[in-house]
Amino acid sequence: MSYGDKVEIRNLNIWFGDKHVINGLDLKIKANSVTAIMGPSGCGKSTLLRALNRMNDVIKSSRTTGDVFIGGKNIYENGTNVYDLRRQVGMVFQKPNPLPKSIYENIAFGPKIHKIAKGKALDKIVEKSLRAAALWDEVNDRLGDSAFDLSGGQQQRLCIARALAVDPEIILMDEPCSALDPAATAKIEQLIRILSTDYTVVIVTHNMQQASRVSDHTVFLYLGDIIEQGDTKSIFENPKHELTEQYITGEFG
Amino acid sequence: MKRLIDAGLEQLASMLFRMGELAQKTVSLSVMNYLEGTHGHTQVEELSETLSEMADPIEGTAFEIIARFQPVASDLRILKSYMKICYDFRRYGRYALDISQIYERAGGMDECELAFRKILKEIGVETLNMVDTSIQALKNHDVELAKTLSTMEKRVDDLYRSYLDKLIETNTTTGCTISSLLAVRYLERIADHAAYIGESIVYLATGEKTTLR
Repeated sequence: MSYGDKVEIRNLNIWFGDKHVINGLDLKIKANSVTAIMGPSGCGKSTLLRALNRMNDVIKSSRTTGDVFIGGKNIYENGTNVYDLRRQVGMVFQKPNPLPKSIYENIAFGPKIHKIAKGKALDKIVEKSLRAAALWDEVNDRLGDSAFDLSGGQQQRLCIARALAVDPEIILMDEPCSALDPAATAKIEQLIRILSTDYTVVIVTHNMQQASRVSDHTVFLYLGDIIEQGDTKSIFENPKHELTEQYITGEFG
Repeated sequence: MKRLIDAGLEQLASMLFRMGELAQKTVSLSVMNYLEGTHGHTQVEELSETLSEMADPIEGTAFEIIARFQPVASDLRILKSYMKICYDFRRYGRYALDISQIYERAGGMDECELAFRKILKEIGVETLNMVDTSIQALKNHDVELAKTLSTMEKRVDDLYRSYLDKLIETNTTTGCTISSLLAVRYLERIADHAAYIGESIVYLATGEKTTLR
């Protein structure tokens, strides 16, 4: 792994039953940057994302071969503690999924489970996480209210704050704005840019304009293969591969 | 199936090609008037004014396409290049007007010796060839044709420099010096813009940023 790479994927293959979904991928993801994975439905974007914290393991029919190194350690090695891994590599999903608890408890839940903090130290983590997710100013006077009382956009930022509370190094986002309106989307996108100064962010998105707005690097995936990857400006201004050109200009997908 | 953006891009291309044809006509008229010693300033002035007026709707259409379709890749490169070329066409019109104005004020090449007239005519003809080539290359997005503008531009530059050297070395009348000096300068600038158009064509078709000057 060269300097500046947070993740290195080597010859990654993933099957669901007989279906070969990811075909021997190699990919390096740079630290403290936003990498967007785009491609048409069914190309393996979410599967690739979920391979980075072994979330595919929960699907019985899945089988994975190859290596994924995070910070130099192969997460598919025997003996890897997947719970620690998922603390290190947090995830935000398509639809906001707050716990049926108060705003405070949603954030405090992870640190409590991982025995990271309690008492005042826990209060500090809650505040720090909500501030980092740009939500503190909107909720600091009602931390005891139900998380379900928040708007959709606020709930998604709460989920980001929840991921941040356990001090991750990488944040995976699977279409985090697909259920949000334009204003809430804009806030999440601003937040993604801010988060990239402290975290490595990998985002899956169907929205190419979103990929071009928020990401530093873009990976175009098609039928389980990486067709093209590079810095976002180059991919969106002058893609090298005909398939990438056709996909981003809307000729297919 | 046609994409929604395609109708907008086709409309933009058609507007730009019309502007290109008019720019070509304007430059050709002005340069031939100067070289052949005929008056036609009013027509050049009108054409130059029309070219200026054509630029705004082209820019407006390009902005509308950006706002509505958020173009990327070759679509984005076409928009960026067309907007630059629109400016180059406007400059074609402006320099054509300048040449026409200098002819009206200071006369043409009548006072110049034959050797001067010969070089000036050569610069004029080569520049008109460049304008024609730039427009032909644009219509077909023809990269190879666009790249030929590099050699032509170098030829105009060489002629321009040799003309200046000759003016410095030789005693000429004030009328010839003022008129021809400005005319060759304007022609050299038109040739530069033809080369810029060539660069834009290479970029829009290939993504390659090249210099043809």
